[in-house]
Amino acid sequence: MKNLFVDGKKGDRAIVLGNEAIARGALEAGIGYASMYPGTPASEIIIALDKNKSRIKNLYTEFSLNEQISLHGAIGASWSGIRSLCAMKNVGFNVASEPAHFLAYTGVKAGLVVAIGSDPGAPSSSNEQDDRWYSLHTYMPVIEPSNIQEAKDYTEKAFDISEEFSFGIMLMTPSRLCHNAGTLIFGDPKERDNIKGDFKKDPDNYLNLFSMAVKNHKKYLERYELLKRYTAASELNRIIKSDSRIGFISSGIIYAHLMEAFRMLNAGEHKILKLGITFPLSEEFIKRFFKGLDEVIIVEEAEGFLEFQIKKIAYEAGFKGRIYGKDIFAAYGELTLDDVITGISRFLKKPTPVYFDEALNRNSATCGRIPQRMGTFCVGCGHRGTMYSLLKAAGFSNTDGKGRDFVIAGDIGCYTLGLLPPYNAMDWLTCMNSGLSIAQAISLADKDKKIIALVGDSTFFHSGIPVLMNAVQNNANVLYIILDNGWTAMTGHQKTPSTQKDVNGSAIPNPVNLKDLLRSLGVSYIKTIDPNSVKRFSVLIKSALKEQGIKVIIAKRECILQEERRNKLMRLKNPLQKPEPQAIYEIQKERCAKCDECFVELACPAIQLKKDEQAGPSIAGIAKEYYYIDPASCVKCGVCYEVCPNSAIRKVEFNLTGEMDVKRSMGKLTELIITA
Amino acid sequence: MKRFNIAIAGLGGQGIITAGTILKNAALNSELHDVSGSERRGGAQREGYVEALVKYIFYDSLDELKDPRKNVHSPVIQAGGADVLISLEPIETLRAAYYINSRSTVIFSTSPHLPISVRMKKDTYPAIEEIVKELAIITPKIYYYDFNKLSIDNFGFLTPRNILALGVLFSKTGIPIEKEIVEDILAKGSQSENNLKAFYLGLTL
Ligand SMILES: Cc1ncc(C[n+]2csc(CCOP(=O)(O)OP(=O)(O)O)c2C)c(N)n1
Ligand code: SF4
Ligand code: SF4
Repeated sequence: MKNLFVDGKKGDRAIVLGNEAIARGALEAGIGYASMYPGTPASEIIIALDKNKSRIKNLYTEFSLNEQISLHGAIGASWSGIRSLCAMKNVGFNVASEPAHFLAYTGVKAGLVVAIGSDPGAPSSSNEQDDRWYSLHTYMPVIEPSNIQEAKDYTEKAFDISEEFSFGIMLMTPSRLCHNAGTLIFGDPKERDNIKGDFKKDPDNYLNLFSMAVKNHKKYLERYELLKRYTAASELNRIIKSDSRIGFISSGIIYAHLMEAFRMLNAGEHKILKLGITFPLSEEFIKRFFKGLDEVIIVEEAEGFLEFQIKKIAYEAGFKGRIYGKDIFAAYGELTLDDVITGISRFLKKPTPVYFDEALNRNSATCGRIPQRMGTFCVGCGHRGTMYSLLKAAGFSNTDGKGRDFVIAGDIGCYTLGLLPPYNAMDWLTCMNSGLSIAQAISLADKDKKIIALVGDSTFFHSGIPVLMNAVQNNANVLYIILDNGWTAMTGHQKTPSTQKDVNGSAIPNPVNLKDLLRSLGVSYIKTIDPNSVKRFSVLIKSALKEQGIKVIIAKRECILQEERRNKLMRLKNPLQKPEPQAIYEIQKERCAKCDECFVELACPAIQLKKDEQAGPSIAGIAKEYYYIDPASCVKCGVCYEVCPNSAIRKVEFNLTGEMDVKRSMGKLTELIITA
Repeated sequence: MKRFNIAIAGLGGQGIITAGTILKNAALNSELHDVSGSERRGGAQREGYVEALVKYIFYDSLDELKDPRKNVHSPVIQAGGADVLISLEPIETLRAAYYINSRSTVIFSTSPHLPISVRMKKDTYPAIEEIVKELAIITPKIYYYDFNKLSIDNFGFLTPRNILALGVLFSKTGIPIEKEIVEDILAKGSQSENNLKAFYLGLTL
């Protein structure tokens, strides 16, 4: 089948994701370099390019170890004359902010665009930060597309603007656009044959020390004034005219909400300013918009980045009308279509439709009543084994509600879900590598606490190595558990330096030897364990906590989704290969005491509650509901078999001759730990 | 301008996003058709809340298509704004009932997936009859099936349950898309044999 992402020509139409539209825009602009450290909601931007790179001439893609490296890489490519795209999530820009603050000083050679996925409402993030504010001190112009088509068109345009004014561009898209899938009409991509790096020295711009830095500071402020003038005439900023004395200003996806709200409310045709470039703003242009207006409403998400700039311009221009913004629309949470409809309806005194009010009211009534659904680990995931082992080592149980006294530092990744019930296995969660960083200081400040810090392999390689060195050098006393599942799982399974084997089965050429690395950093206590061997793991945690200093346990088990994907591919490739001996796990109703060790403490989603059809009221003593293992979801990891204290879970092994071998789960975990 | 909005809700791994993509690809054949809709993709993990919105837009004329006051659409559906809600998990149907109104059609799967609070006995999971009763206050057009069981019984695995639901969508609602276009998309995709079979089975439910 034709791959339109690669082969699409002008006028072709396809359903694409906002992120793919950005990637396609970059392709049409003739990029030769694309990099990112993965992060939701931006990941698909580089994934789209990376997975097609064998079919795209002269394209280099990279999943870098962190955002700072990734942006520096894009700068290097740009200085070599290659248009470069660097993508990241909102908080990624914090990590990339150092190079970003030098980009205006040095300028770019070929166009450089940083595509940032923001995440209002934080459905996939640990904060709601709005990176547009960075533009006020990095002087990176901000471009905001409103829909899928603009996501492509504006990305392409952003490269031209970057080159014309020698700034790196911030292309801002929130999750709602990154993950909006819909129609895109393609343009023609630029010729790719001549994409070739040619680095030329440019000491005037690239050397920044003492007065050289001051000179470059002055230079970029001059370029900034030119850019401002450009924005006044740019097709990316549009005024929709009207005789109304009320004007609305908006940008990005919120502009799309606003236009829909107007139609729904039959709100009349007011004057509208749609900003595609939201930094810098041209004073002249904004003043032109103010003409004839008594009231201006700024409709935007988060803290009022536009309002901040526009009120300043209005003050200096002596605008006599009123300006509204954050007094109507909340500064936190996602600004939803419904919020915009409600805000506009109140402001213009246009009633909302009855069905809309009913649905909103109904929603607020149901919200509290329906059990919340929070994410959990996949069936068979090693992180579940880690959380369970940790809590058992801490003597903690959900069913008896005993609190745990260990301090557990959380960090960023799939394992973060361990902070949710039933595990509640984290005491803080902020940014990447805040786990050990904060834990090491607590261990020095409060010598009585037992402290454990968790980190995933990707997070460790992102910026955890200096943290660990610091902890070792300063004699911190922390048990550091590296949850090495071989992938950057949370963001869709990009490789990490500890990935051993690709999903297609091929060996990765140069994986890091984690143990050697740790040893060279000065760690002397290093143990490796399979996190799904939960009994051994909890014993190991207990004994490690008795040691002083930095102890590292590598909880090593590949992400089960990746392992299963590989197995499936292998089976497709070699259908004749002898199947592995199979096992099934099942709960024997009559032995199960419903003690909840597997159902709540371990909480494997494959263990479910089933109604007992045979158990009528006449059969005394048999419960109406029982626990059972859903064979369609169980991945046969065997952890429940290990944790059942009542030997109620049995393992039935089939070998190839069809013989069966039944084993019962043994022993009580609690006993074992006490004797250990 | 005519519109038709579909909200699809469920959990990671149920094929919610795929179902949305199939429906969107069915609206590529005319310049006057537009389709889009945001997805809540959840994390990499299975079992979290996932949602795909499908908003079809049919312009009356090229003038309308070029009118800046008419040609920009929000990627989400307003409260009560869905013509159809499809949900592959019972209580997620209730949660997504936020999207429906008195004329909407609801198609949902009766196979529950217990949230952790229910496992911990902090919440109770409503009976299917309760859920139906609650939905019936909003709209009379409610269709529910055990899509999991239908999938296992007919195919031996769960994957086709989303396509079964699409079949029901085409038999029970006035979706302004020709079902032959969807058949064509399924025929060209992977697992085409099973998917077509599931679609036809859905049409008969
Ligand atoms: C600074 C920053 N960059 C990127 C992200 C996005 N992100 C969230 S989880 C994650 C992956 C973590 O991978 P790993 O530590 O290996 O844990 P796993 O998901 O594999 O369990 C990433 C990159 C982030 N939260 N913060
Ligand atoms: S994606 Fe992998 S690491 Fe993440 S929860 Fe699932 S199995 Fe675990
Ligand atoms: S063996 Fe037990 S713990 Fe493992 S996946 Fe199956 S039910 Fe879950």
